Amino acid sequence: MQSSSQSKKDSLSSLWQTLFGHPVRAFGVVSLLLLLFLAIAPAKNHFSEWRHYQKQYLALIRSRGDAVTLERRFHDHDGIQQIWLPQLGVVDRCTSCHAGLKEAGLADVSSQPFRKHPVIPHTLDQYGCVMCHRGQGPATTVEEAHRSTLAWEQPILPARYVQSSCGQCHRAPLTGTPQLNLGRNLLGRYGCVHCHTIKLPDGSAIKPTDDPPSLEHVADKTTREWIYAWLKDPQAYAVTATMPNFKLSDPDARDVSAFLTASSTPLAGDTAPVPQDQKAPDPTAGASLYGESFCASCHAVQNAAGNVVGGDVGPELTRVGTKVKPEWLRAWLRNPRVYDSGTAMPHYRLSDPQLSLLTAFLGNKTDSDLLANVHLDAATPEQIAHGKLLVTEYGCASCHAINGIKKPDNFAPELTRVGSKPLTQIVFLPGMTHAIPDYIAAKIRQPRSFGSALKMPQFSLAPAQIDALTTALLSLTDRAHDLPLALTVPAKPASNYQPAGKAGTLMSDLACFSCHAINGRGGDMAPDLTWEGSSVQRPWLLAFLKNPGTLRPALIRRMPRFNLSDDDAKELTDYIMTAYQTPAFDRDSMPSGGYPPAQVEQGKQLFYSKYACQGCHIVDTKVDKGYVGPTLTQVGSRLNAAWVYHWLKEPQTMRAGTIEPNRNMTDEDARALTAFLMTQKGSSKQEAKK
Amino acid sequence: MAKTITNYFEELRGTRVWRSVFRSGTGSSPLHRALAVQQNVFLHLFSTKVRTRMLSFSTTWYLGTLTLGTFLILVGTGIPLMFYYHPSVPQAYADTKDLQFVVSSGLFLRNLHRWSAHAMVFLVFAHMFKVFYRGAYRPPREFNWVIGVILLLITLLLSYTGYLLPWDQLAFWAITVGSNIASAVPVMGNKVHFLMLGGNVVNANALLRFYVLHCMILPLVAILFVAIHFWRIRKDGGLYAHQSEPKTVAAQSVPAVTKGVPVQ
Repeated sequence: MQSSSQSKKDSLSSLWQTLFGHPVRAFGVVSLLLLLFLAIAPAKNHFSEWRHYQKQYLALIRSRGDAVTLERRFHDHDGIQQIWLPQLGVVDRCTSCHAGLKEAGLADVSSQPFRKHPVIPHTLDQYGCVMCHRGQGPATTVEEAHRSTLAWEQPILPARYVQSSCGQCHRAPLTGTPQLNLGRNLLGRYGCVHCHTIKLPDGSAIKPTDDPPSLEHVADKTTREWIYAWLKDPQAYAVTATMPNFKLSDPDARDVSAFLTASSTPLAGDTAPVPQDQKAPDPTAGASLYGESFCASCHAVQNAAGNVVGGDVGPELTRVGTKVKPEWLRAWLRNPRVYDSGTAMPHYRLSDPQLSLLTAFLGNKTDSDLLANVHLDAATPEQIAHGKLLVTEYGCASCHAINGIKKPDNFAPELTRVGSKPLTQIVFLPGMTHAIPDYIAAKIRQPRSFGSALKMPQFSLAPAQIDALTTALLSLTDRAHDLPLALTVPAKPASNYQPAGKAGTLMSDLACFSCHAINGRGGDMAPDLTWEGSSVQRPWLLAFLKNPGTLRPALIRRMPRFNLSDDDAKELTDYIMTAYQTPAFDRDSMPSGGYPPAQVEQGKQLFYSKYACQGCHIVDTKVDKGYVGPTLTQVGSRLNAAWVYHWLKEPQTMRAGTIEPNRNMTDEDARALTAFLMTQKGSSKQEAKK
Repeated sequence: MAKTITNYFEELRGTRVWRSVFRSGTGSSPLHRALAVQQNVFLHLFSTKVRTRMLSFSTTWYLGTLTLGTFLILVGTGIPLMFYYHPSVPQAYADTKDLQFVVSSGLFLRNLHRWSAHAMVFLVFAHMFKVFYRGAYRPPREFNWVIGVILLLITLLLSYTGYLLPWDQLAFWAITVGSNIASAVPVMGNKVHFLMLGGNVVNANALLRFYVLHCMILPLVAILFVAIHFWRIRKDGGLYAHQSEPKTVAAQSVPAVTKGVPVQ
């Protein structure tokens, strides 16, 4: 044993002697070793990942039918590939490995990195990859390109949020990005921007659209008990409520309700007693008045099956009887603008019996469980003072107008560039992926999980809504803000159009803009009225305002009847006919009748054969089955002839976004069709029936 | 064979071209060999004659030579790195990424530069410890020790200025912290800080300043002091070997420790 170890030692020392015994030999050996080490550098270069993937790609395409074309296209530019966009500061080398991105022939390949890119409205060479997908574009290794490393915080964006990238340049809603559009909508609808300022690159800020009610006269409207129950759990009262849950303790909710009730000042009209003689009305009459007034176009009610049915412009009314006091409700229905001058609710001119009917009908929508366990003693001054403190601390006045409390500025952190927030500024929860999308989603899902002392309340949002909000917030990146203006697709600037004069006051009173858009302002529930004066005939409009009928057979909603006085209807008609005229043509350039019968007949032929308009429209109620477009049985007395002619020629110019197809009609065809349509005056009997 | 090569070499040294370049000419007499060293611009810094024991490993552990070696590697890799690097805020980081991802052997260059820099700092310290514990700083070499301390500072400054150039978060914050230390200097701390960064925060000016310092000023100063350092070795009587100590020192130290038994 010892001898063997001895001999081993000897052989080792003789090897040492051979290699390093003589200085020249030692120098040679060391030099050789150094050369070997140096050879590692070019070897690593040669065996790099991207070369490996390019070889794999070649092997893949070689076995295919179109190998020759694919190989030639590949060899036209092999080596490291790069998409360079100097204006955007983008250098993408993704195509070095993702070699088949642009090959339409590889549509069946499902293995990455050779899959073909799905069809998008942009070309890869003009937009690169990281603009949409994030990640580290210049990298040529899998790890560095896709994941976040020590020196690169922005990994690949998960595919479910990829629409956020569209939002960096496109400020207006796109048809291809429903999730982004929804998220942007929710930022306003859930009132996120009351507390969090979000400035857009054009300098404007996102405006809230939720219209939280003023609490200055809240004691007129409801009881302290209801406020308490509402604060404890808003969704228990209305599942669609956007008010978040502040998770107040029982004493805190008691004190806040005490303060809100105490700080409320009464309004004169709200306390007028409900006349007693109209009690015990016909319950079906109330329901039918509710239906005739099209309250459901804006207000929803939860039915027995638990489904919420109705519009989402106004609050849900399922349990409204438990909430509001009858005196207030009656005053509100009489004229909502007295209580809230900016409300989206129109001023229906309801008669006293109608008011009683509706008040009683709505007052019966109660839920005895809601307030069953709420018993509040009279508030003490300490409780009121503590309530005021809580209201200030939780920033209630960011959303609601409250007597004695100023609206705080920048109550919550600004989110203008939240999509590029440096990870070093974020405290992640244990076990959470350290990436911006995960952080934003977790923060929306459960804000208080980041600390029970945080003020942000719990919103009640569906998972799809959380994804949408995350997507919208992720689009608020540094790039979105620093992009050269020429490369952005701006949104239409928000319009603050307000019609003038008496008609303007009338239109505010009727809340026309809650449903109709005019000159860029207003809702999209009803037709855009910007060119209405050029479009319709005066007698029809006057009659319609007095007694609106539906124009589309398939539509359930229609314009409610506001019980306008003759003067008001005339005033409105005159204003619309004068102010809302298109500069594109003269309204009087074509007669509304008296066309030669031959031309009318030709138009009829065109209507039924060449253009097959009856597919969507009805002219003869006995034969036609078109339910897509408006019924045209009385179009000759409704629409202006010049409008019909120009509408047929280029519908999208007259009203952007209309689904009426542009059929590239010749002047002659359009003229003949106009002549035919203008003969459709409808019968006076039909008119009366409507 | 070896004979022939030597013959050819002798012939080469005799040619006119060779002699016009190296003035020493042929011959292997001590005078010729001494002249060959003395008359060469690079070699004349060194002694014309060196004792063999001074070249043995145990004398110096070759620490000074290894430091010079790393310095040469740093110059050799630094120059190609400069070909790819723009000292500007928008490009500096992208350039280091390009070196990492697309320049052939760029990562090798960067890593070699980085590790050599670490090695050089380590070797300079080791060199100084060796000199210190061997007592080689003592007269007549005290001036060269001071030069050595200056070279240590230059090495550290080279390392510090080079740290900013990748322009990543690590670089940015390291230099921010480092330069804030400078503002702790009494009275003129803020002025020093401002002068160093060319502003109040680490930004484009600081990057440019550090680049010029790192690639031009500090290396030139280093070369100057290295030259003085080498030249002083010769002037101070060659490398310090134990046996070459002055007799008085040797006489004092030898009886102090004899076979591990302390003597009073």
